[in-house]
Amino acid sequence: MKNRFIVNPDLCTGCRTCELACSFTHAIEGLRGQTRIYPLDGGFKDLWIPVVCLQCDDAACVKSCLVDALRRNSETGAIDLNQEVCVKCMACVAACPFGCSVVDQQHKLVVKCDLCGGDPACAHFCPTKALKWNPIEPQTRKVAV
Amino acid sequence: MQLKNPKQLATLQKKYKAAEERFPKKVLICCGPGCLASGAQKISDKFKQVLKDKRIKGFSVEALKETGCHGFCEQGPLVIIEPDGTFYTRVKTKDVEEIIEMSVRKGETIDRLLYSPNGDGQRIQRYHDIDFYRHQDRIALANLGKISQCNIEEYIALGGYQALAKVISSMKPDQIIDEITESGLRGRGGAGFAAGRKWATCRKIESDVRYVICNGDEGDPGAFMDRAIMEGDPHAILEGMVIAAFAVGSSQGYIYVREEYPLAVVNLQKAIEQAEEMGLLGDNILGSDFSFKIRISRGAGAFVCGESSALMKSVAGEVGEPRAKYIRSVVKGLHDQPTVLNNVETLATVPVIINKGADWFKKIGTKKNTGTKAFSLVGKVRNTGLIEVAMGTTLRKIIYDIGGGIIDDRPFKAVQTGGPSGGCLPESQLDLPVDFDSLTEAGSMMGSGGMIVMDDKTCMVDVARYFLGFLVNESCGKCVPCREGLYQLHALTVRVCEGRATEADLEKMEKLSNQVIIGSLCGLGKSGPNPLLSTMKYFREEYLAHIRDKRCPAGVCRELITYEINDKCTGCMACIAVCATHAITGKKGEIHVLNQAKCTKCGACYAVCKHDSVVVS
Amino acid sequence: MVNLTINGKVVQAEEGEVLLSVIRREKIDVPALCHHEAVEAFGACRLCVVEITRQEWDGWCDYVTSCLYPASDGLIVNTHAAKVNDLRKTIVDLFLARHPKCPEIIELAAEYGVYSTTYQTVVDGDNCILCGLCTRICDRMGFHAISTVGRGHGKEVSPPLHKAPPDCTGCLACAQNCPTSFIEYSAAKGFLTIWDKKFELLKCSGCGKETITKVFAEHLCQERKIPFEYFQICDECHRKQLAATMGEITSWDREAAS
Repeated sequence: MKNRFIVNPDLCTGCRTCELACSFTHAIEGLRGQTRIYPLDGGFKDLWIPVVCLQCDDAACVKSCLVDALRRNSETGAIDLNQEVCVKCMACVAACPFGCSVVDQQHKLVVKCDLCGGDPACAHFCPTKALKWNPIEPQTRKVAV
Repeated sequence: MQLKNPKQLATLQKKYKAAEERFPKKVLICCGPGCLASGAQKISDKFKQVLKDKRIKGFSVEALKETGCHGFCEQGPLVIIEPDGTFYTRVKTKDVEEIIEMSVRKGETIDRLLYSPNGDGQRIQRYHDIDFYRHQDRIALANLGKISQCNIEEYIALGGYQALAKVISSMKPDQIIDEITESGLRGRGGAGFAAGRKWATCRKIESDVRYVICNGDEGDPGAFMDRAIMEGDPHAILEGMVIAAFAVGSSQGYIYVREEYPLAVVNLQKAIEQAEEMGLLGDNILGSDFSFKIRISRGAGAFVCGESSALMKSVAGEVGEPRAKYIRSVVKGLHDQPTVLNNVETLATVPVIINKGADWFKKIGTKKNTGTKAFSLVGKVRNTGLIEVAMGTTLRKIIYDIGGGIIDDRPFKAVQTGGPSGGCLPESQLDLPVDFDSLTEAGSMMGSGGMIVMDDKTCMVDVARYFLGFLVNESCGKCVPCREGLYQLHALTVRVCEGRATEADLEKMEKLSNQVIIGSLCGLGKSGPNPLLSTMKYFREEYLAHIRDKRCPAGVCRELITYEINDKCTGCMACIAVCATHAITGKKGEIHVLNQAKCTKCGACYAVCKHDSVVVS
Repeated sequence: MVNLTINGKVVQAEEGEVLLSVIRREKIDVPALCHHEAVEAFGACRLCVVEITRQEWDGWCDYVTSCLYPASDGLIVNTHAAKVNDLRKTIVDLFLARHPKCPEIIELAAEYGVYSTTYQTVVDGDNCILCGLCTRICDRMGFHAISTVGRGHGKEVSPPLHKAPPDCTGCLACAQNCPTSFIEYSAAKGFLTIWDKKFELLKCSGCGKETITKVFAEHLCQERKIPFEYFQICDECHRKQLAATMGEITSWDREAAS
C-alpha cells in the first residue's frame, strides 16, 4: 500500500460529499449504490468523523469469509470483495469490528470499500480536504483512519 | 505362505495340480446365481451329507466342487460329472443319491437327467455336444463352472497367476501396454475404448498416485456376466488388476461392486485375503519391489454409478453424480488423480492375453473387434443363460444356434442389446455381426452385454415405455435434459400406449430425443432415448397402430385391448379363480362370461387359460 | 494465453480457463442457472451450452457446457448458433413444465418465446430447479448440512433423513443464493427458523438489531479465531462506536491546542 487515508476531523464540516461521491461511484446500472463511507457525529460540537474501512492487516472480514470472497488486492492494497464469489452469509458484516462491511439493501449485496481501484472518490471530492489520500510518510502520522 | 519369487509359484502349481489329479472323477455343482435360485445349495448340502457316510474308491467329498456360473441357467440346477462332462440338468435333491450311486460309483449315466433339446426324448450326454456350449468361445468365462468359487489353489492349478509371474519376472510396463494394445482389447463395459491406449495415457501422466479401478457395477436389468465372474472366478479379476497396476504404475486399486451382489462381495473379499496371504497381492508381490493393494468399494446400486465419473465420486464417498468429462477420468479420475477404470470382463481377459499372447487373441473375433464378448441371453429365448462368443458372431447365431430359438417357436420380433439404453433391433438386422461398431451403427449399442430377446407378444411401444421408465428413475437427476427430458419422453410414450397420442407427438418425441442426446451431461442421458428412437425407426407401424387405429397389435397395452372369452371355453373355472375383480362368471362346464365393466385387464385369465379361449382383441 | 474466436471475434484467454468466464468477460449474455463463482462448475442446467468447432474439425461441431469447457488455442465458439438456441428453448420449456408457477422460470421462458410449455405439466412441480447451488455452497462453507437425496425425477434437496440438520448453522447462504428463492426461512422474535431448525439470533447490545445466528458466530469464532465480542454489536453501532472513540481522541487534541 503506497497511500493511506489521512483524516483531519478539524476540517470536516459534515457536508457528506464523500458519502455522495462514494454512492455515485458505486452505482449499479444507474442506481446509486450503498455508500461505504459514513461521516458520523464524533460526540462533540461540530466534530465529524468520516468512518471508512481501514483495510486491516489481519482483517476480521477476511478471516470470517468461508468462501474466500475477500482478498487483498496487491495493487491497491484494498481488501476487495468479489461479488461473484460472495454467498451473502453476512459473516463479514457481523465480524468487522468497525462496521465497514455493509449491506446494500437495494441491490441485495454485501459491499465494502475497495478504494475505488486506487483513487478513492471520497478523498478526491472532499471540499475541505478533511479526508486525504496521501502517500505514506512517517511524519504525517496524525489521526490516520 | 508368502511366495518369494515366480519360481515358487511354479512349484506350487505343480503341487496343486497333483492334488487335483488325486481324484479322477469330480462332481461339479453349479452354484451361480441362477442355479442357487433354483436350489443348488440344497443339492450341494445333500451331496455332502450323503458322501459323509459313503466310501467310494477314487472319490471323496474333496472332489465335490461348488463352481461359479456354468451358463446354462435355464436348465439349472446343473450337476456335471467330470472328466467325461456328463451334464445333468434340473437336478433335485432326491436325485442326489442316485447320481452318487450310478454315475460316481458305477460310471453309468442317468438318462432321465440328461439335457433334451427338443423335449422329445432325444438326450445329449456331454455338455460339449450341446448346441448351447458348442458354439461358444470362452475366455473371460473360461474358468467358470470348472473351479470352486474363489479357491486360489484350484485357480493356481489351472495356471492362474502365471501371467502375473510372467510380467513381474520378464516384462517391462511398456511391454505389457504394447501387448495389450497389440491385442486390440477394447473395454467390455460398453463404450469399447481401447484398453491399451487407456493404460498408456495413464502411465504417461506425471503423478505420484495412480489408481486402478475395476467396475463391477453391473446395473442393466437382466445382465449378470460380471456378477458371474466376480462370484465364480474372482482371482482372474485380481490378477488382471495387478497386471494393469504394474503396467500403469499404481499401488492402490478398488473394486466397485454393487451391494445387490452380496456373494460377489464376499467372494472377492475372500479372494483378496487368499492372494495377500500368498504374496500375490499387497506388499512386494512375488518378492519384487512392486506393491499393490485392492479394496472393495460397495455401491448402493444406482444404475448411474456404472458411469466412470459417477463411480469414482461414489468410491470417494460423494454423491454418485457424473461430471462432464472434457478432461477424461484417465487423466483426472479418483481424487483427481490419473485413474484406469476397466470393466470386470476386460480385466479378467488380461491374464489370458498375457499368457497366450496378443497374436493368439487377435485371431479371435474381427479385425477391429478382437476377442470374445460375454452376453447374458435372456427373454423369450429357449436357452437363457450366460454365453461368450467371438466378436462378430451374428445375432442369428446367438439367438437360434446358441439360444435355441424362440420359446414355443413363436416368431422373433426384436432383440434388445446393450441394457436399458441400448436399442431394439428387428428381424432384418439378425445377420448383423455383434461388435461395438456394427451395433452402434444400427442404432443400438454393445453396452455391457445384456441381450433381451422378444417375441411377437411383445409390444415395442411398451418396451420403450418400460426402459424409459427405468431410466427416469435411474437418472441421477443432475442435468435437466436427462432428468426432465426423459421424464417427458416417458410421459409421451405412455400417451402412445394409452392411445391418447397424435402423430404430432411422434415428431415431438423424435425432436426431444435428439435434444436430450445433444444436451445431456453423461452417457446415460446421451443414450437414454435409444430404446425409443430404435423402436420408432424399426417398428414405426406399431406406433402408428397405437395412434391411428387405437390398437396395440401385440395385445399388451392395457388401455387399447379387451379380453374376451370365446366358445373354446370348456368351463374349467380356472380364470374365475384368478380374477381378482370377479369380472368372470359362469358355472363349471359352461362357457364363462366376462363382464367388461369390471375387468381391469390384468391379464391373469389370459395367462391361466389352457384352452386359448381367453383372447385379446 | 491462447487465442480463440467467440461469435466471430478473436479474444484472448488463459489456457484452461472455462469458456463461460471468457464469454462473460466479453459481455455476451449466456444464461446459466447453476453457476456460482464460489463453487466448482457443475454443468447441471445446461443453459450455458455453446457450439464449438475447430478449423481442423472440417465442419463438425460439438455442443458443450461453457461453464466447464476449457479454452484452448484455435477454438471457434458460437454462443447463439441455431442449434444452441433450439436446445436452450427446449430446456426452458422442460423447466416450465416442471416448475409452472416459478416466476424466475416463467420470466426466463418468456425470453425464449416460450409462454406455455409444450410438454406435460408436472402437477406437483415445485420451484426447486435442482441446480444444486444450495448444497454445493453449504459444502463450500464447510457445513455439509444439506444434500440432494434420491435420484431421477424424484430427486430433492434435503437435510439428512428429512430432519432438522445437525450441522446447519443458520448462515442462510443456501437461501440467499437460491435462484428461485425456494428455500424458505423465517425470522421472528429473536429466532431464525430454516430447514425446520430454530436458531437464536444475536442481538446488538447497542440498538437491539438482530444480526447473525449465535451458532454461526460461534462457529466463526472457533474456526477463524475471531473474538466473540465483535459479534455482539451490529455494524451500525460499530461505526458509531468508532466515531465516538475517534471523536474523543480529537477532542483531546483540541483541548491540548487551546
